Amino acid sequence: MAWWKRGVQRDEAVDREIADHVARLTAEYIAQGMTPGEARRRASVEFGGREQVKQAVREVHLWALGEAALFQLEAAWRFLRKAPGFSLAVILTLALGIGANSAVFSAIDAIVLRPLAFPHGDELMRIYQHDAHGRDANTFVAPQRLEDWNRLATTFAGITGYYKDDLSEMSGPLPEKITEALVAPRFLTVLGVAPVLGRNFSAEEEHWGGPNAVLISYAFWQRRFHGDPEVLSRKLRISSYTIPIVGVMPRRFVYPDRDVDVWASSAPDAPFAQRRDETWFSVIGRMKPGVTVSEAAADLATVQQQLGRQYPKPDAELTTEVQPLKATVIGDIGKSLWLLYGSVSLLLLIACSNIAALLLARTAGREHEIAIRYSLGASRCSIVLQLLSEVVGLSLLGGVAGIGVAAAAAKGFHLLAEQLPRANEVHLNWAVAGYSLACAVATAVLCGLYPALRATRLGPASGLAAGSRGQVSSRNPMQWILVGVQVTLAVMLLTGAGLLLRSLNTLGHVDAGFDASHVLTLQVSGSWGETSNMPAVVQRIDRTLDGLRALPGVEAAATAAMLPGVPGKYQVEIKVDGRIDPTRRVLADVRTVSPGYLATMRIPLLAGGDCKQALNTLDVVVNRTFANLYLGGSGAVGHTLENALYSDFQMKGTIRGIAGDAREEGLNEAPMPIVYSCFSAPNPFPNYLIRTNGDPMAMADAIRKRIHTLEPSRSVYAVMPLEQHLSDAFTEDRVRTMLLTVFALSAVALACIGLYGTLSYLVRRRQREVGVRLALGAMRTQIVGRFLLQGLRVVALGCAAGIVAAAGLSRLLRGMLFGVSPLDPFTYASVAGLILAVAALACCVPAVRAAFVEPVKVLREE
Amino acid sequence: MAPLEKTDLLQGTLDLLILKVVALGPVHGYGIAQRIRQISQDVLQVQQGSLYPALHRLEKRGWLAAEWGESENARQAKFYRLSAKGRRQLASEEQTWNRLAGAVGLILLAEQ
Repeated sequence: MAWWKRGVQRDEAVDREIADHVARLTAEYIAQGMTPGEARRRASVEFGGREQVKQAVREVHLWALGEAALFQLEAAWRFLRKAPGFSLAVILTLALGIGANSAVFSAIDAIVLRPLAFPHGDELMRIYQHDAHGRDANTFVAPQRLEDWNRLATTFAGITGYYKDDLSEMSGPLPEKITEALVAPRFLTVLGVAPVLGRNFSAEEEHWGGPNAVLISYAFWQRRFHGDPEVLSRKLRISSYTIPIVGVMPRRFVYPDRDVDVWASSAPDAPFAQRRDETWFSVIGRMKPGVTVSEAAADLATVQQQLGRQYPKPDAELTTEVQPLKATVIGDIGKSLWLLYGSVSLLLLIACSNIAALLLARTAGREHEIAIRYSLGASRCSIVLQLLSEVVGLSLLGGVAGIGVAAAAAKGFHLLAEQLPRANEVHLNWAVAGYSLACAVATAVLCGLYPALRATRLGPASGLAAGSRGQVSSRNPMQWILVGVQVTLAVMLLTGAGLLLRSLNTLGHVDAGFDASHVLTLQVSGSWGETSNMPAVVQRIDRTLDGLRALPGVEAAATAAMLPGVPGKYQVEIKVDGRIDPTRRVLADVRTVSPGYLATMRIPLLAGGDCKQALNTLDVVVNRTFANLYLGGSGAVGHTLENALYSDFQMKGTIRGIAGDAREEGLNEAPMPIVYSCFSAPNPFPNYLIRTNGDPMAMADAIRKRIHTLEPSRSVYAVMPLEQHLSDAFTEDRVRTMLLTVFALSAVALACIGLYGTLSYLVRRRQREVGVRLALGAMRTQIVGRFLLQGLRVVALGCAAGIVAAAGLSRLLRGMLFGVSPLDPFTYASVAGLILAVAALACCVPAVRAAFVEPVKVLREE
Repeated sequence: MAPLEKTDLLQGTLDLLILKVVALGPVHGYGIAQRIRQISQDVLQVQQGSLYPALHRLEKRGWLAAEWGESENARQAKFYRLSAKGRRQLASEEQTWNRLAGAVGLILLAEQ
């Protein structure tokens, strides 16, 4: 219960108590013969000021509360003042430990734990269709099937979908490329979101032939109309249409992604939307409340079977899949985040044991003080509480500083990981701040309890004498155990980071099979509407390509449906020479590229020639893996290939050549069978790949200008070097590796500080002993050797334990490693070497210092 | 005898009086004030302004336990009773008081 609520309740209780008192007094006076009015007045007067009584009672409670807190605070403050260096070290260590932990927690909280920013976001599902025989990797759904699902699936409150298209918007001075999401009916209803300004699409607007209308995104409203509240009276001009704006979506609404500027309705009753083998929509559905994912999946499967009977071709060949929308939005990033969270928690644990070791050393020096407290009658409990409250004070300060670190980290995360899903939702909030403070208290108890219990274990009997002179201090194995644990944890983190670094390094040096340097990529706006006249699209794209090739400084240019090396593939089943061998299926990634693509990407031709493009025939080139696997190598040239599933409306292709293997599907994917299908216009806005003589970005302006003269009404966008795309594709890997490396290095630093501190402390405590030994003729090198050995023995043990633990845990990294075994001996050896070297350094200083003790001085001090 | 002035009541004595009165049986605030007055034959009169804060202080320290209950003629009243801790406290305060009173008495009896 909140304290103020308790306060209010107490006030009411006091009121009742007073009222009772006055009533009894009144009754007494009435019994004495007064009139009721007189008696009441008299009683009130006698009782006096009720408010004053209430206030006095309130103070009693406040005082008790404040007194205890004040006392502990004061004690903690005294402690802080007495040992500023120690306190600062602890606060800083905790600030970093808790801050890093809270930062990762804030990312987990925002990305993994929180539901999507839609009302009842957990009811939203992504729905896929799959070819039952795996002949087509496409999961997009035809408008007619979507409408059938929506009508027949009773577990869903509504099913809708979207696809994206690029447009040139021309109401401004220059054509601007905007991204449009074409949405099936019910889009906003299913997502449960309403426009902040204006309205949703009307029923007529969702029908073919109805009035045009668009909703615009908040960002587009700000960017293009500067937040003009009169925007609903404005219109967008797109090709030959003028389209009224009917609504503005909320700022947080960025579905399907941040790029979307406008939403327009795609009518299922349009004449061109009737084929059941169209592949248009990414489908989302909202389950009815209380329905489970498996119930919804079963329901949809039944519906699809029913459709299969009604439309054997193609519905009988299709299966459905239902997945929570959140899982599909965040993808695999949860795994990375939990990995980071684990690492950062290990780091906090190291910080904890570090502080515990420091506290052990400190409380050992306070035996005298504790003995005095005992003799003054303090109970063990109260002394432990006091020692703990000092640590809690420190760690709360550390926690508050940690919140600052986490806030800064959240900002850094936005810069570092802009590309990652939901990254924009990561920010500091009360949950994170509360988490940090909880962390601080947990840390304090974790690292403060043992030292406090240990320091007080001897009880009152320990006596003041023990702390006095002339004794060799008792050994404290716990301190060494803590150091060993720190080394173990640091080795684990460092091994993880080492494996990821090696993997990233391998990825950077992998032979891609194509040359990504000096290649500029860009897109020129186009829209799906143009596909009604394909020859015109092909002509336009070829003209642009020719214009680019003629530009000085450009070596080669081509288009491609997908960028090479950026993860993504379109795997389909293929008929060779018109036959399917059911025992040996031919599967390949079909990549649509223009003639000249292989030369532009410097993928070598091993046999035959490059493909040529014509309107009524199709040339293809296969890669070496395809030729070797399916067609016995170089004899592949001349065979014909066709899509096994869509052979009725896709052209047969003739193999013209065999190309070298390239890692087209992602640098981390081994080459697979590829069919390059020669067609420069896979869609109206393909990727242009332009090989330049020098720095590709230096050519960007000239290239833009050339395209503008060729296509004055189209916009050029996504202009960046291919290498940038490749590096963006591995943002998650890079961020993960970088963070883990930072954590691991911090861990090593902390462990070394712990080692150094513990050994220094030991050396100081045994100064006297060393003095005696030296006086008795021990060699200084012997002294150094003894201390060094003592430190290094612990490090070696910790290191060995760490390597065993790391080997056990390294399978957590499976799927994140490329070209490196989780048990890579090189990494393990380097980690062990590094730790031993750094630890030796950390041990050296105190060990050598011990040897330079002046026996005379030390012994005289006694 | 005329009632003593408020200031004449020794600091800390009020707690002792309350503990003693409550030790006689569960009682509400009004009852405590009445009993102190009656037993002391009107010499000691507790001001409400000090009674209630004292009651809450003693409750907070765990010497008194309180609960709402029904008294005669179905009135709701807050009844205080002595806790085990309070009984120990009472014993020790009584002893202290008796020693103090005895000591003061000895001094006053001293011959000039």
